Parts: sequence; C-alpha cells; structure tokens
Amino acid sequence: MDSDGEGLFVADSVTKVYPNGIRANDGISLKVAPGEVYGLLGPNGAGKTTLVKQVIGLLKPTSGRITLGGVDLVADPAAARQLCSYLPQAQVPIDSFRAREAIVLCGRVRGGRRAAVERRADELVEALDIGEWRDKRGIGLSGGVKRLVGFAMVTVCPGRLVILDEPTNDVDPLRRRLLWEQVRALGDRGVAVLLVTHNVLEAEKAVDRLAVIDNGRLIAEGTPSAMKAHERGHLRLQLMIAPGHDAPGLPQFVRHSTLVGRNLLTVIDETDAVTGISWAEQAVAGGAAEEYALSAASLEDAYIELTGHDSEDDGGGGG
Amino acid sequence: MASAWARAYWRKIAWDFADLRLYLPVLGAVLILQGAGFALGVGLLFGQMPQAAAVFVVTGVPVINLITAGLIFEPELIAEQRIRGSYEFLQALPVPRSAAALAWYTVALLLALPAVAVTLVAGVARYGLHLTVSPMIAPAVALTCLTGVLMGLAIGHGISRPMVAELLSVTLIFVMFGFSPVAFPASQLPGWLGAVNEWLPFGSMATIVRGALTAGVVTALPRAYAVVAAWAAGSALIVAWAQGHRG
Repeated sequence: MDSDGEGLFVADSVTKVYPNGIRANDGISLKVAPGEVYGLLGPNGAGKTTLVKQVIGLLKPTSGRITLGGVDLVADPAAARQLCSYLPQAQVPIDSFRAREAIVLCGRVRGGRRAAVERRADELVEALDIGEWRDKRGIGLSGGVKRLVGFAMVTVCPGRLVILDEPTNDVDPLRRRLLWEQVRALGDRGVAVLLVTHNVLEAEKAVDRLAVIDNGRLIAEGTPSAMKAHERGHLRLQLMIAPGHDAPGLPQFVRHSTLVGRNLLTVIDETDAVTGISWAEQAVAGGAAEEYALSAASLEDAYIELTGHDSEDDGGGGG
Repeated sequence: MASAWARAYWRKIAWDFADLRLYLPVLGAVLILQGAGFALGVGLLFGQMPQAAAVFVVTGVPVINLITAGLIFEPELIAEQRIRGSYEFLQALPVPRSAAALAWYTVALLLALPAVAVTLVAGVARYGLHLTVSPMIAPAVALTCLTGVLMGLAIGHGISRPMVAELLSVTLIFVMFGFSPVAFPASQLPGWLGAVNEWLPFGSMATIVRGALTAGVVTALPRAYAVVAAWAAGSALIVAWAQGHRG
C-alpha cells in the first residue's frame, strides 16, 4: 500500500491517444473512495468507455497513472482483472447458462468459495426479483432479465472496484429500483462503484459524486447537489411539439434549450416563470405544441448546459 | 499462487463446458461425421481401396478431428464474442491467460478424442487395416491438438476484425483438406507445393500421428515434430502478444 490508501481508486492525468491520433482521454483525474458510488456521465464518444478499458487492463494509457489501493493497474493488468469487476454495456454471454448457474460460475471464476457464492447468488436472485427465471437458460431470457443476471454475475463476488456500464438498460422500472438498491448496498459493503451512464436522472438518485466527461476531458465534478447548484433559481419549461409542426421560435428569456424528438426542453429563470407559461400556453393554443410542463431544473439540465447534449439523446453506443 | 492458477484453470473448464453446452451434441456429431465420414467416403471412390492408400487416409483424418475445434470453432466463437460485445467481459474475468488457454485446450482435446477413436475404428473395420499403435500416440495427439488450439487462439485474439478471422480459419481448412498431405502422400503434390508443405504444419501433424499408428510408413519424424512444435510456439507467442498488447 502507498499513500493512495486501502481501496482508494485513483486515475491521475490519464491520457489516451489512439494510433490514429484520436485523443480519447485528455488528462482525466478522479478519485473514488471505498464505499462511494461515483457516476461517470458524458455523451457518446466522450471517452468514458476508453477510460474504463484502461482501468480493467484492456487498454494502456498513453500517459498517466491508474491505481487501486496503491496497486498500479497499468503496470499489472492481471491485478486489475482481479481487483475490478466489470459489467459492459453489451449483454453478458450466457445463452447456454441457467441464470443462477451463470451467477454462481462467475462468482467461482472470480475466486469465491462455493458455499458463500451460492448463498450470495440466492440473495441476489431474490433481491433483484428474478427468481422465476433462476433455472431458465440465458437464450430464453429477455434483455432486461439478462441485464439483471449480468449485474448479479459481476457483483456476486465483487472486486474492490465494480464498474457498471449502463446497468439498467432494458430493465423494467420496478426492478431498476431493486438494482439501484443493490448498487447502494455494494457501497455500504465498502466496494467502490464506478457507474457509467447516459441516464442522468437515474444517476442523480444513485451516485454520491459524479463527473461529466466530454471530448475526452473531465469538464465538471461534484455531488449531484453541487452540480445542480448551477441551475439554482432556474426552471425547466418543456413543450411537446405537435406532429407536423416546427418548434416555435425561442424567446429571449430562454437560457438554453434542446430538442429531443418532439420534446423541446428549455431552461428559464424563476423570475420569467409567468412569461414562460404565457409563451407555452400561446404555443398550445396556436396548435404548435400539444402540452407543456414547468418543473424545477434538474441535474439533467446542468448536464445539458455542460455538454450541449440531452441524456436521452446519448442512449446506446459507448463513450 | 500455483493453487490459485489451478483453481482458475478448473473453473474456466467448467465455464467453457457450460458455455458450449447447447452446441456440444452438434459439435461432437460434426467432428465424428467429419472424421468417419471422410475416412469412409473416400473409399467409395474405389471399388477396392489399395491398402497403402487406406492407411494414409485412416491415419491422416484424425488430424482433422484433432484441430477442428481449436482451429475452426475457437476463432468463430471469439469472432462472435467480438460481434456481440461480450469479448471484453470475458477478457476482464480474473483468469490467468495461460489457464484460460489451457482450459480451452482441455475442452478441445476432450471433444476431439471420441471422434478420433470413432474415425480409427470405422476406418480399420471398413478397410481391414492392422494399425500398430505406439506410446508415441499420446504426444502426437497432444501436440497436434495443442497446435490447432494455439493457431486458433492466435487467429481469434490476433485479428480484431471478426470477418477476417473467420475467413482465415475457413481458408486454412480448405488448405488442409485440399492442398496439404494429410490424407495422401506429399509425393502426390506438385513439387513446389510439396516443398511449401514441408514448412506448413498440417502435413507434419499427419506425419507424427501416422508415425504413432503405423510401423515403417513414415520417415523424418523428428523433423515433423520440430515443425509442429515450432508452429505451436509461434502461435503461442502471437497469442501472448495479442492478449498482452493493450492498444
């Protein structure tokens, strides 16, 4: 152990330049403490997946250090695989496995003892409410259930750092909640969790701290509350544009906006609320919009302001 | 340390067998049909198969049984993992690379051995052959299968484009079936192709397997062992490079 301390994950000035010259990571530095759930947010191509691949030893940084509890993960990729558990964005390959069997085998491959792994697998099957599929083969499972099985495989015998890339993809809303409870439970057990996601709204509830990466650089870091502080005093005014209509022209009081499909998201000052409602009502009355909603500005609005991307806009594909 | 490696090895074998479970019956059947079918099918070309030719066919075809799982199935599996995005999950599992390779070798050998046995029994029964099985059958079979596995892993891990890897493994099978002295003597080939095959692994694999099943049929056994071992070593180096190379 060195000054990095027991279990502390540190990425220090990590830069990755691919042979084709693309600078996927540019001096990224971050720390994740044991027990902390740390979100890594950013649009497609931001460099999130590149960073993760360097952590688990599948890619080598061009420069910079990556350590976990003082162990140099760059110099010792075998240690990286031992110390880190990784759930990729793609589905885990379990077509031939029965669900519980896949969880147990993965725990065994990760070095767990049979009795402990089986007990923990049963706990996870129950906690994630996937008992009805426990003896079904992966080939017959829905994408959401496969995702939950994959999560259980990765966390049944977790390393000191668990990396989850979009863990809730395809998972139904009820079981999403169960999954997030298990993510929090991992933190409570002292495991550091690195959560890669596009889903800012979910991340807001699940993470202790988060970082936003864009164009390979870390552009913001802090707690969800601190990140949202930028949006204090702002409101989100959302319009659903009517089919066949263009989005209405934006008045001057709109601070920033994003159009996702037919959903026009704008952020306005609290002091402009009455004017904003009046503008939205006119759009609805004129047939340009079907409905509108006014709510407190969220972490997602802060994210949009930082990156210029809506989180839903970024769904699918690695970063 | 050694016990951790051994545990990882056994658990990876359990993983590989579970992973292949849906395909094992088909895989086993394909290997048996491929070997026995080829050995018996060639006989249909002749009214009465010459004994010397029958010996070449029956003692050469087990090479195909021994290397198909490693050289063909494994690159296909890795290509599929790359296409489906699960390659990185598997590569991130905490299994030493050497333990994972040896586990797959064990699986490939266990898949191939029944097919080899069926091929030999069917060939001997059909052509009324008398084979002289020497103890060298163990290293010959082990080395041939190992070389096929390492070549397959080298293709699968060394070539990141799945389509290219698949095409290469299929091409090698065509080379083995049509242009390598596996089931016929090298003297049947044009001179230049025979010379090329002196340095390719397939003819030498057949030589060492044939050498362990017959007496006085093959010569230059040490050279054949050296050629096959060199291909195994070269492939192992490529696998080590490909899995250690981190972009």
